Amino acid sequence: MTPRVRIGASAPKAAARVMPVREGRVPFGFTEAAAASGFTGASGSACDVLGGATRVLLVGLGAVPDEEGFRSAGALAAARLCKVPRIALDATALLAEEAAAFALGAALRGWQPDGYASRPDPEAGRLATIDLLSTAPGIEAAWHVTSAALAGASLARDLVTEPSATLTPDGFIARLVPLARAGVQISVLRRKELEREGLGCLLAVGRGSVHRPRLVVLRLPGAIEAPPVAFIGKGITFDTGGICIKPADKMWEMRADMAGAAACAGAMLSLALRGSPSPAVAVLALAENAIGADSYRPGDVLRSHSGKTVEVVDTDAEGRLVLADAMSYAIQKLRPAALIDLATLTGSIITALGHEMAGMFTNDPALAAHTAAAGRQVGEPVWRMPISEAHRSDLDSDIADLRHCTSGKFQPDACHAAAFLREFTHDCPWVHLDIAGMDSRETADDRHAAGATGFGVRLLDRLVAQHFEDPHRA
Amino acid sequence: MLEISFAKQALPKTGALVLLVDDQLAADQLEATDEATGGAITRAFAAAEFKGKPGSTCVILAPGAGLSRVVAVGIGKTEALTAKLAEEAGGHALPLLSRDTHASLAAGGLSEELAAHVGLGALLRSYRFDRYRTTEKAEDKPKLASLAVLVAHPSAAKEAWTPLKAIGDGVVLTRDLVSEPANILSPAVMAERCQALEALGLKVEVLGPKELTKLGFGALLGVSQGSANEPRVVAMHWYGASGEPTKAKKGAKATARPAPLAFIGKGVTFDTGGISIKPAAGMEDMKWDMGGAGTVVGLMAALAGRQAKVDVIGVVGLVENMPSGTAQRPGDVVTSYSGQTIEVLNTDAEGRLVLADVLAWTAKEYQPRFMIDLATLTGAMIVSLGHEYAGFFSNDDTLAQQLFAAGETTGELLWRMPLADSYDKQLKSEIADMKNITGRPGSAITAAQFIKRFVGETPWAHLDVAGVVWSSKDAATIPKGATAYGVRLLDRLVAEHFEGVSPTP
Repeated sequence: MTPRVRIGASAPKAAARVMPVREGRVPFGFTEAAAASGFTGASGSACDVLGGATRVLLVGLGAVPDEEGFRSAGALAAARLCKVPRIALDATALLAEEAAAFALGAALRGWQPDGYASRPDPEAGRLATIDLLSTAPGIEAAWHVTSAALAGASLARDLVTEPSATLTPDGFIARLVPLARAGVQISVLRRKELEREGLGCLLAVGRGSVHRPRLVVLRLPGAIEAPPVAFIGKGITFDTGGICIKPADKMWEMRADMAGAAACAGAMLSLALRGSPSPAVAVLALAENAIGADSYRPGDVLRSHSGKTVEVVDTDAEGRLVLADAMSYAIQKLRPAALIDLATLTGSIITALGHEMAGMFTNDPALAAHTAAAGRQVGEPVWRMPISEAHRSDLDSDIADLRHCTSGKFQPDACHAAAFLREFTHDCPWVHLDIAGMDSRETADDRHAAGATGFGVRLLDRLVAQHFEDPHRA
Repeated sequence: MLEISFAKQALPKTGALVLLVDDQLAADQLEATDEATGGAITRAFAAAEFKGKPGSTCVILAPGAGLSRVVAVGIGKTEALTAKLAEEAGGHALPLLSRDTHASLAAGGLSEELAAHVGLGALLRSYRFDRYRTTEKAEDKPKLASLAVLVAHPSAAKEAWTPLKAIGDGVVLTRDLVSEPANILSPAVMAERCQALEALGLKVEVLGPKELTKLGFGALLGVSQGSANEPRVVAMHWYGASGEPTKAKKGAKATARPAPLAFIGKGVTFDTGGISIKPAAGMEDMKWDMGGAGTVVGLMAALAGRQAKVDVIGVVGLVENMPSGTAQRPGDVVTSYSGQTIEVLNTDAEGRLVLADVLAWTAKEYQPRFMIDLATLTGAMIVSLGHEYAGFFSNDDTLAQQLFAAGETTGELLWRMPLADSYDKQLKSEIADMKNITGRPGSAITAAQFIKRFVGETPWAHLDVAGVVWSSKDAATIPKGATAYGVRLLDRLVAEHFEGVSPTP
């Protein structure tokens, strides 16, 4: 759950007050405490002043903070005060945009998973409310935009956190109610439609599970006459690996294998809540990759929605299969201006980039540059990776149009996956974000909460704001 | 080695003839050959559906007119032919000529410059490491000894060929070094092969265990201490811009002379992993764990061979990483040349330890304009990019762009990978300044962050070439085996941006 944020001029109920401090500008009244703890306002530092009438936490902004500087200062405050039920962020000296970023950082860091504990510890406090003290001109408008992004990220995080027993493909769909309320049109393709439309890859991946695969189409008409931007999300609600079963250790992490779809849903919620004028669609490929008597097998040949045939090498490389069908379907039915897909796709990208950046692949360098810029601004960094001729030719198959992955050790599987997906883009401008390392964090730090991150939601929201809301775009 | 010569264009009387055929089915000497053979060539093209596509070939055996065979190589559109495509055309022809001792290649339709590149392509593809095949039958060995490239102006082609030949020699030297088994190529033997480059005008300085101990190469010595083969650090100096320094006192020259370029290579002549020993399967590949150093040596030979007008230092750190009673242990702490201490948690992450000392020493000793290091450093890089791109890291955007562009031109491709404080943090050690490994996630990046701690403010790029120094299949100009990746890339970088330009202090 994400703490509520209220905007006001004062906060009598708050138990602690947070003051952002620029480097070398410690406010009057706190200079002695700051000196005693060596606090100067450097970014990443804080000074907890407990002796006064209210608890005051000074957080450093550094000398010239940017957007991320305000967010990380807010995050630091929430990290230090995560057990205080109500805190006030003193943003009276900040501009509206700065105040909004400050509050956003605190709210994102203050998120905690909704527990399933049957008897929660009554002593354990939990940051539930944040008062943002600001009377800056434009603060309402700035917070309207920012809170929409926050709500989208919160939805994605809640979806990623939910165990797979309840978050089946249909369970996922049942949790899209906030989108419907915000004006997003939701349609669902079930077995018959999937068969009629020929989504053979999605059907094959979902075949081993009693929880049937679904394709969800989310639509926002927007206000401008232009083709929509399309988000495509991998939504494997649990990934056992199928017949090519995964090792038992850490298999539980696979409940987050729908984080791409969650991010797409979250981004649609953000766009709806802030009333983005851009038409937008999201196609979510939802399935459980289970082991069953009717599971698809290594060696099977599938006919994808695009008509291309695919030889299955490893049933644990299922994400690219469901994405291929979702992308192809989106292009054929929705005629998008651009496709951005998000997927927890490969272990290879984690080996390559770790847990600090997502991997980005593209057929359109300009779209990729915009995506990277949006990611940098919102603090969801991506790094561009290549698709080479060899990556594609490695997928040549003896009996089908292509294989979906290769076997053997030391394979550049993230690049192979991207080369595979590119076959289904039909020259539509496309960016693929492999977010396998970014969906969840194992441990909390000053900047990030532990658990689901909602990675991608704010990136997509920002990308749309900057590049798809021009009323004259073609 | 294949002898490449240049001669006046004419229809040869004997031997094999190579035609470079464009997508209009036109080629120098094609009409003459067709006429002399009674239309055999055009009939063969039709029968084989040969269309002149780049990379396609068509062989016509004993077509008449005294020729043993005609080998047609497609080059696509003549006007789109680049140096790289010209080399590939030469490379594609080569394996089809192995049964002749002499062949001619008609290149009258190309510029002399491009014709010379065709010759280079053939030379590069002809490479074969067969010195240990004692029972191979003569008829199984390729016979081709000489290739005459036929052009309009042979003297112009020869002029273009001279520097290319030097680059070819550099590539061959690198491939020889990388192909040599580790029982032959110890650090001391590799150092001797570096010393042989003095014949080209390089000044070569070799540091042995005594000097290295005195200088304080603690990280490098820690890696080598388990092996019976002593370590070496070799510095190869090429003073193509300023001439060899006079015997002035050290220190005086640093201010008086322009800053050299510096190339640094990881030279682990065999990497068992040490006490953190590697799995047996595939361990034989670790003879090429000196590939980075091999490339630096070949590059220095190429630059000297073509009399490059630039001052360059090549430094290689040569060690063998063995498990033994004297080997370094996981948990050991070593003090590097820079003074920084390193907790060695995995003895198989040894390359960065060698580079740490060599880079810090090179920066201090030469104050170079930039340092570029090459190392077969991480398996993670192979998982990241595969075998077509080397990954590279840099603290200097200009240098990074220059490198990237040189890769596109030469076909020795590079992909930039990120550096960031968030990765650097993972190197924190509980008892030393840093540890030498992190977890698997992002481990090529954290290796680069480790190395970065030893380069100071010097503009620097690190090329992780683990995936590209050895190839399991033939390519147009690279037979399978040692690729010599980097020689041409870095030669190009030097030629394009640093040669003959007045050095900025």
